[in-house]
Amino acid sequence: MSWYITGSGAVASVGRGVEQLFTNLCLGQTGLAPLRGFDPEPYRARSAYEIDDRPEPGRDVPGRATSVLVEAITEAARGAGIEDLTDVPILVGTGLRELRSLELWWRDGVDFSADRLHFGTALRERLGAEITYTFSNACSASLYALAMGSDLLALDAADTVIVAGVDVLTESMHGLLERVHATPPDRVRPFDRNRTGVLMGDGAAAIVLRRHPGPRTQGLLRSVSVNCDAYHVTAPDPAGIANAMRASHELAGVKPEDIDLVLLHGTGTLLNDEAEATAMAEVFGEHSGGPLMTAIKSMTGHTSGASGLMNLVVGLESLGSGVVPPVVGLSDPVDEAADFRFVLGEAATADVSVAQLNAFGFGGINAVAIVEAVR
Amino acid sequence: MKVVVTGVGVTLPRASSAQSLLTAVARTAEPVNPETRVGKKGLRYKDRATQLGYCAADAALRDAGLLSETGLAVADNSVGVVASSNLGNVDTVTGALDTIAAETTMGTSPMQLPNASSNVIATSVAIRFGLRGPNLMVCNGATSGLDAVYWAANMISAGRVTRVLVLGVEPDNEPVRKLLGGRRAIDGAVGLVLEDADAAAERGARVHAEVGRYTRAGGVRKCVDQLSDMDGGVPALLQLPETGGAVVPPEILDGVPRYDLAKAWGVASGALGVMQCAATIGWFEGRGAGPVYVLAGSDDDDATAGLVLQRAEVR
Repeated sequence: MSWYITGSGAVASVGRGVEQLFTNLCLGQTGLAPLRGFDPEPYRARSAYEIDDRPEPGRDVPGRATSVLVEAITEAARGAGIEDLTDVPILVGTGLRELRSLELWWRDGVDFSADRLHFGTALRERLGAEITYTFSNACSASLYALAMGSDLLALDAADTVIVAGVDVLTESMHGLLERVHATPPDRVRPFDRNRTGVLMGDGAAAIVLRRHPGPRTQGLLRSVSVNCDAYHVTAPDPAGIANAMRASHELAGVKPEDIDLVLLHGTGTLLNDEAEATAMAEVFGEHSGGPLMTAIKSMTGHTSGASGLMNLVVGLESLGSGVVPPVVGLSDPVDEAADFRFVLGEAATADVSVAQLNAFGFGGINAVAIVEAVR
Repeated sequence: MKVVVTGVGVTLPRASSAQSLLTAVARTAEPVNPETRVGKKGLRYKDRATQLGYCAADAALRDAGLLSETGLAVADNSVGVVASSNLGNVDTVTGALDTIAAETTMGTSPMQLPNASSNVIATSVAIRFGLRGPNLMVCNGATSGLDAVYWAANMISAGRVTRVLVLGVEPDNEPVRKLLGGRRAIDGAVGLVLEDADAAAERGARVHAEVGRYTRAGGVRKCVDQLSDMDGGVPALLQLPETGGAVVPPEILDGVPRYDLAKAWGVASGALGVMQCAATIGWFEGRGAGPVYVLAGSDDDDATAGLVLQRAEVR
C-alpha cells in the first residue's frame, strides 16, 4: 500500500507547531522541568516534560488534552488545505483520554461530565467533525489509530482520514509509574546503561492521510502492522515486538537493509529499552548497524498515546530535510544496542528515504510503521 | 468480504443469554460474581471491568467453538480483541488519586499500574486467553460499543485478522455512579465473536448473524438516512439509542417496531452497541427475520452510529 501524508501538526513541551518542534529537537533541547500542574509533595519524581500552557503556574485546568489535540489537528488540516471536517474521519489515539479532567472533577469539583472522557464531543463542538473515534490503546495508541485509518482507505470507506494522538500528564499515571521505579527518574535517557526510568510528557500530533497526493505531500505511508504479545500487563515481550517489525517490513515490501532511519520507542525504562533493542537486533541481524537511530522521548518525555505519531511527524521532517535529531542523555548504550548507529551529541545530516517508527504499549500491544520520502 | 457473528456471550445480573436480553424483566438481581462464572484463578488485582470482561469473553469464545478445556482451537494470532468501555477504569484513577493524596505514591500498589491504563480490559483478555491478533480499546462515548463492532469487522475485511472477540463492558461502582449523577451502570459485559464468513464455514461454525453496513453521523436522522441509502431496504426492527430522555421522533422509520434496550437495563454507555447486537441475535433466534438497524448515540450525544445486522442465511 501507499497512502499520501499531506499535512502534519504537533505540540509538545519542546515546541508548538511542527516547525518549531523539529528545530528544537534538532538543537537537542528538552522540555524537562519541575512539575507544573500539580503539588509535587506526594511524589518522589518531581519533573516531567509538560507543555507550559497553564493560565498560572501550579494551578491545573481541565481540558488541556482536548485543547492541544485541537491545535495539532487544526495545523495538520490547514497544511493539507482541508477546511470542512464534517465528514472527514478523525481517529484519535490516546493512553489517558481526558482522565486528567476527571481527576480535577473528582478532587476539586471542577465541571466535568462522562461525555467529555472521549474527544468526540469537543471535536464536534470545536471543529464540526462528526466521524470521530477515540482509541485508548496505551502507548501505541496513535500508531494503532494510524493502522485503522489506513484500513479505511484500503477498504474504500474514505479518501481522506485524519489520524491524531494526544496525552497530557495525569497524577494517577505519574504516581503509579513512579511507584514501580526503584530510583525516581530525573530524566529520560533511552538505551543508556545508567537510565533510571521514564517520565511523562504532554503532547499531541496529527497527520492527514489521503488516497491522492495533495498540494504538499510530505511522505508515503507504506505499512502499519499491529499485534499483541498476550504475555504480560506491563512487561514487553521481544518476540511479539519482533513479529510486529517483520510484519511491517513484509507489508511494505522492504528488507531491514532498505531502512535508513529508525525512530525508536525508547522510553528509558529498564524493560522497554532492553526488549526493543533485543527485537531490533534480532530482526535487523547483520544490518543492525545500518540505519540511523534516534529516540525523541529523551527530549519530549513519554508522550504516551501521542508518541507513535510524534515519531511519525518528526520522521517525516527528517526524510524531507535530511536532518535527524540526536538522542539526548545517551552516553553508554546497553549491550543489546551496542551495534546501533545512534545519533549522539548533535543532529546528524544524512540522505534518508525509508523510516521505521516503533510504538509499544502496556499489555504488549505493538505497532510498527514504515514511511517513505517523496522525491 | 462477508463478516459474520459466530459467538455471543452475555454476562449481566439478570441475563446470561442473547434471548434473555429481550425478555428479562426482574428489577433486582444479585451482582455478577465472576468467581462463579470463570473461577477464582487470575482475578486478583483485576478491576471489576476486567473481571466482567473475562466472563463475557469466556462465554463468547466457547459459544463460537473457539475455546475448550484444552485451550484455543485456532491459531493464537488469528484472533484479535476489540473492547469498548467508557467507565472501565474510572475507579482505579480516582482511587489512586485519593491514595496518593493521603499516603503519597508509596501508599499505592504497583499492581494498580496496568489498571490505570484504559486499555487494561482488552489486553488482559488477550493475555488470559492467549489472543495475539490486533488488540484495540475503543472509548468513544455513546457510540463506542457499535463502533467497536465496526472496527472489528474492518480489521477482518482489511485482512489483518480472521476473527475478533468484541467486548462491551461497563462496571458499577461509587465513582462511576457519581459521574452518572447517581444512576447505575449495567455492571456487566457482553461479548461477540466476529469472523470472516469463509473461515467460519471452513471450521463449520454456527452463524448467528451477518454484519452489514455501518455509518456514523451527527444526529439520529442523518445517520438513519445514510444507513437506509447504503442498505437500500427497510428494517424489520429498530434498536434505539440510549437517550437522556429525548425521544427518537416517530416519523423516523415510521411503523418499524422499536426496541429500547437501555430502558430495561440501566446505563449501558460503551457496552450498549455490543449488547444491542447480542439482543438482535436473540431476536433472530426467536424467529425474528429481516434486517435490524442498530443505533447508538442520540441527538444529545456527539454523533449517532448505525449498523445493519442480518439474520444468517441458511446454507
